[in-house]
Parts: sequence; structure tokens; C-alpha cells
Amino acid sequence: MGIAFPIPDNAIILRREAIISGLSALIPPESLITSEDERRAFETDALTSYRRMPLAVVLPTTTEEVAAILAFCNENGVKVVPRGAGTSLAGGAIPQEDAIVLGVGKMNKVLDINFGDRTMRVQSGITNLAISAEVAHKGFFYAPDPSSQLACTIAGNIAMNSGGAHCLRYGVTTNNILGVRMVLIDGTVVDIGSDAMDAQGLDLLGLIIGSEGQLGVVTEAIVRILPMAEGARPVLFGFETSEEAGACVAAIIGAGIIPVAMEFMDKPAIEICEAFAHAGYPLDAGALLIIEVEGSDAEMDAMLKKIVTIAKKHGVKTVKESKSATETAAIWKGRKSAFGATGRIADYICMDGTIPTGQLPYVLRRIDEIVKSYGLRVANVFHAGDGNLHPLILYNCNDPEEANKAEEAGNDILKLCVEVGGCLTGEHGVGIEKRDLMRHQFTDIDLGQQMRVRAVFDPKWLLNPAKVFPLDGRISP
Amino acid sequence: MSAPSLFAEQELIDSVHAALKAATPLSIIGSGTKSQIGRPAQSDKTLSTSALTGITLHEPAEMVIAARSGTPLAEVERRLADKKQMLPFEPMDYRPLLGSAGEPTIGGVVAANLSGPRRIMAGACRDSLIGVRLVNGKGELVKSGGRVMKNVTGLDLVKLVCGSWGTLGVLTEVTFKVLPKPQRSATLVLHGLDDANAIAALSAGLGSPFEVSGAAHLPNGVERVSATLLRLEGFDEQITYRLDALKKQLHRFAAADYVEGARSAALWRSVRDATFLVEPRENAVWRISIAPSKAAKIIAEIKKSLTIRHFYDWGGGLIWLSLPATGDAGAAAIRSALFGTGGYATLVRGPADIRAAIDVFEPLSPALRVLTAGIKQSFDPDGLFNPGRMIAGI
Amino acid sequence: MQTNFTPEALENPAMQASEKILRTCVHCGFCTATCPTYLLLGDELDSPRGRIYLIKDMLENNRPATPQVVKHVDRCLSCLSCMTTCPSGVNYMHLVDHARSHIEKTHRRSFSDRVFRGILAAVLPYPNRFRVALLGAAIAKVFTPVLRHLPGIGARIEAMLSLAPRMIGGRSPLERPQIVSSEGPRRARVALLTGCAQPVLNPGINEATVRLLNRMSVEIVIPKDEGCCGALVHHMGHEAESHSFAKKNIAAWISESEGEGLDAIIITASGCGTTIKDYDFMFRNDPEWAEKAAKVSMLAKDITEFLATHELPATTRATNHTVAYHSACSMQHGQQIRDEPKKLLKSVGFNVKDVPEGHICCGSAGTYNILQPEIAGKLRSRKVANIQKIVPEIIATGNLGCMTQIGKGLSDTNDSTPIVHTVELLDWITGGPTPKAIEKAGLKADIAINTLAAE
Ligand SMILES: Cc1cc2nc3c(=O)[nH]c(=O)nc-3n(C[C@H](O)[C@H](O)[C@H](O)COP(=O)(O)OP(=O)(O)OC[C@H]3O[C@@H](n4cnc5c(N)ncnc54)[C@H](O)[C@@H]3O)c2cc1C
Ligand code: SF4
Ligand code: SF4
Repeated sequence: MGIAFPIPDNAIILRREAIISGLSALIPPESLITSEDERRAFETDALTSYRRMPLAVVLPTTTEEVAAILAFCNENGVKVVPRGAGTSLAGGAIPQEDAIVLGVGKMNKVLDINFGDRTMRVQSGITNLAISAEVAHKGFFYAPDPSSQLACTIAGNIAMNSGGAHCLRYGVTTNNILGVRMVLIDGTVVDIGSDAMDAQGLDLLGLIIGSEGQLGVVTEAIVRILPMAEGARPVLFGFETSEEAGACVAAIIGAGIIPVAMEFMDKPAIEICEAFAHAGYPLDAGALLIIEVEGSDAEMDAMLKKIVTIAKKHGVKTVKESKSATETAAIWKGRKSAFGATGRIADYICMDGTIPTGQLPYVLRRIDEIVKSYGLRVANVFHAGDGNLHPLILYNCNDPEEANKAEEAGNDILKLCVEVGGCLTGEHGVGIEKRDLMRHQFTDIDLGQQMRVRAVFDPKWLLNPAKVFPLDGRISP
Repeated sequence: MSAPSLFAEQELIDSVHAALKAATPLSIIGSGTKSQIGRPAQSDKTLSTSALTGITLHEPAEMVIAARSGTPLAEVERRLADKKQMLPFEPMDYRPLLGSAGEPTIGGVVAANLSGPRRIMAGACRDSLIGVRLVNGKGELVKSGGRVMKNVTGLDLVKLVCGSWGTLGVLTEVTFKVLPKPQRSATLVLHGLDDANAIAALSAGLGSPFEVSGAAHLPNGVERVSATLLRLEGFDEQITYRLDALKKQLHRFAAADYVEGARSAALWRSVRDATFLVEPRENAVWRISIAPSKAAKIIAEIKKSLTIRHFYDWGGGLIWLSLPATGDAGAAAIRSALFGTGGYATLVRGPADIRAAIDVFEPLSPALRVLTAGIKQSFDPDGLFNPGRMIAGI
Repeated sequence: MQTNFTPEALENPAMQASEKILRTCVHCGFCTATCPTYLLLGDELDSPRGRIYLIKDMLENNRPATPQVVKHVDRCLSCLSCMTTCPSGVNYMHLVDHARSHIEKTHRRSFSDRVFRGILAAVLPYPNRFRVALLGAAIAKVFTPVLRHLPGIGARIEAMLSLAPRMIGGRSPLERPQIVSSEGPRRARVALLTGCAQPVLNPGINEATVRLLNRMSVEIVIPKDEGCCGALVHHMGHEAESHSFAKKNIAAWISESEGEGLDAIIITASGCGTTIKDYDFMFRNDPEWAEKAAKVSMLAKDITEFLATHELPATTRATNHTVAYHSACSMQHGQQIRDEPKKLLKSVGFNVKDVPEGHICCGSAGTYNILQPEIAGKLRSRKVANIQKIVPEIIATGNLGCMTQIGKGLSDTNDSTPIVHTVELLDWITGGPTPKAIEKAGLKADIAINTLAAE
């Protein structure tokens, strides 16, 4: 497995006892995890092929505790890896031996809801879905919906600028957060943004969202909540080939129609998800689009009519509308469980490149060729409307040779995405996974500018330092 | 068209290098339509992007457009309109308010993060901006983002640069995601509401499932009888249905009628450009960003000490306010009313001496100031670009 | 997930099974969000994914359980909510069962813990001992203020006593082996698991079951030698003991099945149902018992599962009472039975409502509310508050443990809403007597018009 970790700082590791005793003065015993067995459970996230044991794990319950911990770590040169729910697919929350893990899982409360202003203030460890659940009774929801929304935290979403199936219409995390409370590495607590729409001064909020835990530890967030549509109806469109489905997506957008979601699955993905969710996906189709429309019944009918007309021109074979809330739930459950359900049949690594949608047919063909050339299989599920691909490369992780091949195939795919004008990651983040590919997308000048900005917040590179930027050529302010 | 612009980017880099060498700070402008915003220039030389023109990419089916920074906004909008598309964030035109002349450039739109009434639904300029190229203060060409809608690769410098008023670098190219132009647009008008009730009505509208894309209130004094405006945009059938549904929902506030077509469009252009406050010319004009539920109270508070004219956009979340440009142009009173509310005030029109004397942009807390200074330093270590335009000393 | 077992370790069938389970887990973390203990504690170690990781590490290295591992595994309710959530189909139940038996084999618990667990294991599965113990408890209740301060086990004793009823009824006639013949021509023949604690605490449930089945022309047999299903000791990791309970039952039922024949084995406590349906896995490698166990698991049916596939007797009373249906974890997660009980209740007229956050455990979980009183107490309050949100007139569920646990929460909040077993309500509306709890609450259901006319 090819991704390197920095060489741990032995001086810090030797001071482990002292560091732990320092931390124990700052937080109650149930918030400090030090035994070997217990630390081990934090050695990885959802990118399990990479693992590193942290020095200790802290689970603070207040912003003040976070501030005290960070100030302590800053003074003692201890690295800190922030962690939400540990669902990062990019290895964003994987620790290192000379770092502590700071988890926000215990900070999961709703602090304030304002329906009139359509805002809500939450602690950062709350899960994405819990935010929506809290306001559902009044017909509101928090829009960005990563497939992992059941489990992932808003802290992780903010760090990764997460997206989801419905982002075509509602935007990603950065478009739906108004403010954060964040602790800087020296323990300073800053409020950035507020419940007002425009920020003061530079758009630091925009910078922090997507910064992968390298600028500070977010402890609270002010999120926008939106009114739910009157109704929503996903429709399944089965095509013979991926090309037809891809062309159909382009035609729908070209016609000025923006459905709330347009999700694509190829044949292997259809089979995997149907077996799990029994959602009625067409098993005879070579490619499936799940297109969701919203509005009143009449509005949805009108919109669907337009979409179906376009789909027919592109050779759609089956069209199946959801007829009930249960069916709708099953359709989305299948899609949102795609990765996990894949786990039933094989290990996988999940790619996340984005491409210009016009390149879809070409890129899909190339992905197939690339993966086959390594003797592996691939299943494709992705957000078709915005070109964010998720090829799942299937392999056996107990076979080191195959694991290497899978990783290489993944790298080839990401390079392809960049080549055609896209990017390495659309929503999962760089983490360690794509760190060493960054130079394929950016020049050293681009990266230099980013690193100088990063160093303004964390001059000693203590916060999640092994991520995002190639390990060589790092820049301080 | 394209070749000279290519050179223009290199020329621009050369100019920055020259300025670096000579240690001459530069005022960065597009065509200068907004140069009266911010603290007065403290630079002897001006660097304009006006030679950097041309649309470099427009893929209607992918909903993206890219243009060199000096391209007139009007050209970008025209090109989009040809394909029945638009910039979602409805950028405002400051010329009426500032009495400035020239063609606003797309780069200027980005540098000022200009966003109009549709911001409440479709986001601000920063939300549609997906890629930038810029020359930093070291004379390096830096790119961030790209041409795809979803991109979380590396730090999001795109957002940081948007709204930085030319203090971090000189933009050379910007890329946006765009939206289809709605087929039909109509505005529901409620008459006679006071500020608090009007904002409650706007909140109710924005909290409805009908995707209100503009929500403004023009109090007595701006209009003869106060008018509360809610805009609906979409397919023809949709608008017919939604107008009726929304009207019923808001009936408890006031009866409503509606306007469409050119009249509706003109109304929103006025809201967008704050033309209600153009006169008297000598007055100062402020923009206040605040949570809607606090807006009416803030206005009442300010009115205790100042004579003002005002109106609201963004469902009450944006207050436009005009008052005599005497003393500090109301800065102290406004900022003390805003204290602790999470709101921000920006002086967008005022005489240079006042703009030099007060904080034009909301002053920063010490911690934020340190970060802001650091970021400025990381882009522009020699303080070449628009020094002190946003914040004194940065 | 990658695993790292030695080939020798994998010769052990239990290890082999666990390795397979671990291989299907993709460490996605979805399960954490629906785990009651993670919800309360916010520590991944008290979540399914964390426990899986702890167990993986312990088994891979074939290490004795450390106190830390024991702490987090002990805190697991075995509610199996994680299994419902898991998109990869990870069989957490079998994994944690393996871990528990590994813990019992390799870890020496503290003296007080051993004594306490020993007593529970020695008493609860045996109706006679349990009855005597309850009498003792009724007396001990008086001393709770003193006992609660006992170091180490005070809180547990207090929890146990608070759950014990003040009074226990006499012996139900159904505690004896017997055959209850049906009225009219026999449509089916079933064995009824009378259970261990249930007939002592609430004999009404089985009595209602028998009456109802009888009216449906189903013959019920209570075989000789049938006893506790073994779940209680199974969850404590006492493998040998649980297997011996299971074998006794299997033998009893197979002998009935091979004799007069059995169409189903009816279970009225969903906790037992989950375990009996798992007998096939328990004995999969035992040549003597595998086939029989599989047969039993196949025949095992929750009472509502059985009723859903048969026609209920006509209703004799009219009801539109609002019923909060609390789905026991062993029902919804363990056996994946979700809609049947609600459909049955609706079919006889009840206005059935789901409880918000219904997938989260009430904290009963077998002996959990006694062994982990603090967490169990928090879950109980949370559950009761959620039930109260829908303002029900009646609460129905399919597991006695939940009835006791929620009942305690209700009485703590001075809420007198009756909580009954689903089958008691079905029996009542289709001709049975008014369940005791309903009577006590003063709720009535009028005799149905058609029944009056017929009379
Ligand atoms: C099955 C599956 C499906 C997924 N689907 C999607 C999807 O559809 N869309 C999508 O965008 N992502 C998806 N993801 C990826 C992942 O869920 C997201 O990246 C998510 O935002 C991570 O949240 P988390 O709480 O798990 O954070 P973690 O994984 O714990 O951490 C993620 C990053 O955030 C940082 N961080 C955590 N807490 C803080 C804090 N308080 N302050 C600062 N930094 C912090 C960490 O250091 C790390 O870099 C999926 C993952 C899985 C396993
Ligand atoms: S949900 Fe399943 S696959 Fe995911 S971590 Fe939990 S047990 Fe593993
Ligand atoms: S069985 Fe219940 S308590 Fe145990 S890990 Fe699974 S969800 Fe959590």
C-alpha cells in the first residue's frame, strides 16, 4: 500500500506519559482514552487499509475543554487529529503515532432553532441527519445529504465540504452554513460568520469549510434550514447503455430543467443495491438514472412529463415512478447504502473525482478499461447532474497484491478525471488518499499559496498535518 | 480577441513584478465603477484588468461559463441569455447609487461578491463561483477551483478571494456555474404592512415550499404606501399555482395582488440596485446584514438617534439605509445598535473624508484581525494591492 | 475490513465464523448512529463499530479479554439495532455472542460481579426459584435505602428491586405440561413456549395466547421438559449452560413434532424468539443436533407472526383506542418483525401509532437493566418521554422485559397508561376478558353491534 505517513516524532512519543497526565488535568476521566485496546478503535476511519495508533484520544464536551486541550498541545508540540464520526473515505481522520485524536462525538446537542430566520445552531458533533430530524416536524430540513448522513457529523461535513444526492439543487455544505465557532491551535476561540447572511471582512468561513481539520477545531455551527417541498417523487429510468443515460442527463440540463437529484448506477451497482434494498431497480437495465422531482402533485406531473419526453428520445427502456412514501424510502435507501451494500460482495475503494458532464461517456469507458487492465471489477454509482463520479473498485483487501492494484487503478482514474478538466475529489476530500496526487491538479505555486494560508492558522503544522498537502516541500508562513 | 488577452495576463504579471521592484502599491480596478467603495486608495498607481477580456468557456449543457476578469458583466449576461441561462446571484449594478460611469467587469463582480435579491434562494456570487485565476502579490499566477461544480480539492481559495476587494490578488479569470433562466417570473405585492409584520410575512413566504426567489419590503417613505414583495420564478404552470397558494398562505398578513413581466422585472432591478436611495445624492448609504428577525428592532433602535430612509431585501436580512453624510455618517450609532446581534454594517456610499476616518467595513475582533492580516501577508507580502481598502493597516 | 487471523486460529469454527463477519464490515460507521449506547455516551468504543474493532483485535490475537474490552462489551444491550442499520449485513449478534463467551472463558470478573451474575443465572431461568426470589425481593424492597449503598453492587441491587413487582400472583395453570384442544375441527397444532420469568411475572400473556389460538381452532401443546430458551445465560456468555437449555427444548419439541406433529412453536416473548431462531446457528457444527436445531428454528414463530398468516376470530368489541406500539428490539431488530403486530392491532380497530425514535432500545434488554442500571435508566426515561409524545391510551408491545422496564418508567413519571402485550389486546377485542392492566386503567371497549345482534 503506497501512501506514506510522516516519520513520527520520537521525542513526543517518549513524552507520552507526561502528555497524558497533562491532558488528564483538563478533562474528566471518561473523556480521555489511553489504554492500548481502546485507542486502537480510533486508529482508522472508513479508509481502513491505513491505520495508525494515536497517543491518546480525547472526547471533550465543551468548547472550553477543546480550547484547553489545543492550547496544551500547541505548547507541547503535540499534533492533533480532529475526528467527527470517522466516516471519511479519504482517510481524513486517520491519526498518526505522535498525535492525539480529538473527537467531537460527545458534543451532539442542538443549541437553538429559529424557524423564522431559517437557521439553527448546533454543536459540531451532531449527525447530519439528526439536524434534519430535529426540524422535520415543522416541515424543514438541512439540505446537504451525504449518503453517510445517518452517521457523519456536521463537523466532518464542514471539514470536507460534503455534498450529496440533492446538492444539484440545494448546494453543498459551504452553501448551507452561515457561521462556525472554531478553536484555533493556540486555544483562541473565534466566531466566524453569524446568523446573518453576509460575513464581515474576508470570507474566512468559505476558507474553513473544506479545510479538512487543518485550520482549527470547529465546535459549533450555524446552519441554514430550508422548507421541504410539498412533495418529492423519485423516478427510475432504465437504459440499455451508460452512454444513453449520460446523454439523457446532458439533454435534461440542456433543456433548462434542474431536477433535485439525478443519480446514476451501472449494472453491477444496480444489482448490488437492489439485492440490499429491494427498491424495484430494473435488473435488466445496463444503466439506471434515479431522477427526483419536487413540488405539488401537478407540478411534479408537469415536470416529469418533460423529463420523460427527453428520456424517450434517448432510448429509455423502463420508467418507474415511486407510488408511495415506502417506495421512495426504499429507492433512496438503495442508493444511499450503495457503498455499504457493496461490502457484502467484496472490499472496495471508492473514488470521488469530478468531470465535466460532457465527458461522461468517454470517462466511463476509460474507467472500465483501466480497472479491467488491473484484472479487477468496478461498480459505478454517482451524482450524474454534477459529474461527481464514484467508481467502486472491488478487490480483496486480505490480498496485498490486489490491494496495490486497486490503489493504482484508483490513481489512474483520478488522473484521468483531472486530464479531462475535472478534479481529484468532488466531495470526499483529499485526506491522505489523494494527497500525493495533488501535484497532478495543482502547480507548486498553487499549492504554495494554499500552504501559506494554512500556516497562518497553524504555523507549527500541528493540526491534522499528514493530510492534503504532499509531505515534501511544505511551506510555513 | 483571445490572443491579446493572453498577452494581457503576462503583461499584468509583468506590471506586478515592476511594482514589486519599485515598491509602489497598486489600486486594482476593473473599470472603476466601484472605486468609491471602501477606504480611499492609498496607492499612487492603478492597475486595470480592462485589457483582459473575453469569454473563455461556455458549456450550456454543463451549466458553466468562464471569462477573463475584464470582460464586461453585460457581455457575460448576454451570452448566457442567448442560451436562456443566467448568473444565479443576480449581481447588482452600483452605478446608479454611486453615480459612477463605465462598464462593470465580471472580475469586479467577484472582487466585491456582488449579489442581488436572488441570493436568498440561489446564493451569493461566492456560491456560484467555482474557479479563479489570479496574480498574487509575489507576481505568481495562482489557480484555485476549476470548471466543475463539485470540487473540494485543496483549500477553497475561490471563496476567500471572492469579496476580498482586490486586496489579495489581481483576478485574471473567473468561472461560474449558472442556472437556466426561469420561464416566468411574477411578484406578489402586499400593501400597508409595518416593518415587523412585513418581515414576518416575508419569513412565512420564505418558509413556504414555493421557492420564493426575492423577498423585499419597501416601507412608507420609500413607497407611498409600504409594499412587501415576494418573487416567484419557474415554469409557467408552476407560477400560476404558486402565486395562488402563496397568496392564500399570506392572507393573514394582508391581501395581495401581483405584477408580472416588465413591471416585475423593473421593480426587482430597483431593489437590486437600491435606486430608491439614489437621492438625495449627498446622503451616505449603508448596507446592514442581519438575521431577519432582528432587523426591524435594529431599525427602531437606529431611528432613536438618526433620521434615516431604509428598505429591506433578503427577507429582512439586508437593510439598505440612507442618512445625511455628516459627522461619522451614523457609524457609531449604527454599530452600537448592531452590537452583539451578529449583524454587520458597511458604508457603501460616503465622502472620502468620512471613509478615511471610520471603519467602512465592520471592524474585526482582535483574533480575526490577526488572521486577516496573516492571510493578506500570505498572498501579498509587500502590501502591494489596495492597501488599507478594507481594513486600515491591512 | 482487512483481518489478520493465523491459519491455526481459523481452524476453530467459531473463529472462522467471526472472521467471515469481520470481513463483511466495511467500517462505514452507519451503525454508530442508531446504537443506543453511542447516542448516550458519544464514545465510539460504546458503539457497534468500536465494539467490533475491540472484538476483532481480541480475537485476532487470541488474547484474554482486557477489563476495557469487557467494559464496552458489557455495555452493549444486544438490541441489534446495528444489524438493522448495517448495509453490509454484518452479523453483529454472532460476533458479540462469540466475544461474550470468549470473555467468560478468559476474563475473571470481580468478586461482586461474579456473585451477582451467578445469582441471576441461577435464578431467572427457573420459574420456581424465581418465584421464591421475588418473594424475597418484596421483603428486600423495604431495605432498598440501605442496600443501595452497598459498594460495587448497590446500584444494581436497587435496580433489581425496583423492577420486582410488589405482589406476585399464584401459579398459572399453564405452567404445567398439557394439551389444550381447540374448539371445532383442528386447523393447526402448535407448541407454546411458556418461558421462565414471564409466567411468573405475567401469566396473563400466555393465557390470552391460548384463548385466542383456541378460538382459531388451533391446538396448543405445552410439552414436558420445555423450559427457559437459554437467552439469559447466553447473553452472559455462559455457552455450555445456554446450550444445555437449548438442547432440552429442542428435544422436547422435536419429540412433539415427530409425534403428533407441530405446525409452529409459538413464542410470546420476542427476546426468546430471537434466541430460538438462532438455535440453528448455535448447533451448526454439532452433527447430533444440527438438523434438529434447524428444524426448531424454522418452526419458531412469534405469536404475531403466526397470527398474521391466519385469520383472526371475528371481533366482539369495538375499539378505536390510540395504541402506542413499542416494538421490542428483539422483535424489530432481532427477528425483523415490524409491520405484522401493527397490522393485527389495526385490523381489530385500534388506532396504532409509532413511537418516535422507535428504533432505540428501552434499556430492558434481558438482564441489562439490572447489570447496567445507569445506562438502562437513561434509555428508559428517553423511551417513556418519546411514548408520551404521542399521548397514547394504551401501550402495546411483544416482550415482557420491555413491559416491566417501560412500566417502571411510567410509574416514575406518575403516568398510569396501561402497558400490555399485543396478544392480550387481540384476545380482548375478539372475545377474551379485559386484560388486567386495561381494567385497572378503567378503559372499556363496547360490545360490537354485530355481536349484540347475534346474541
Ligand atoms: C458509506 C459512505 C458514504 C459516504 N457518502 C458520502 C456522500 O455522499 N457525500 C460526501 O460528501 N461524503 C460521503 N462520505 C464521506 C464522509 O461521510 C464525509 O466526508 C463526512 O463529512 C465525514 O464526516 P465525519 O463526521 O465522519 O468526519 P470524520 O471522518 O471523522 O472526519 C473528516 C474530516 O473532518 C475533520 N474534522 C472532524 N471533526 C472536526 C472538527 N470538529 N473540526 C475540524 N475538523 C474536523 C477530520 O480531521 C477529517 O479530516 C461517505 C462515507 C461513507 C463511509
Ligand atoms: S454499519 Fe455494518 S459495515 Fe458499517 S461499520 Fe457498522 S457493522 Fe461495519
Ligand atoms: S446491539 Fe445495540 S447496544 Fe449493542 S452495539 Fe448494536 S446497537 Fe449498540
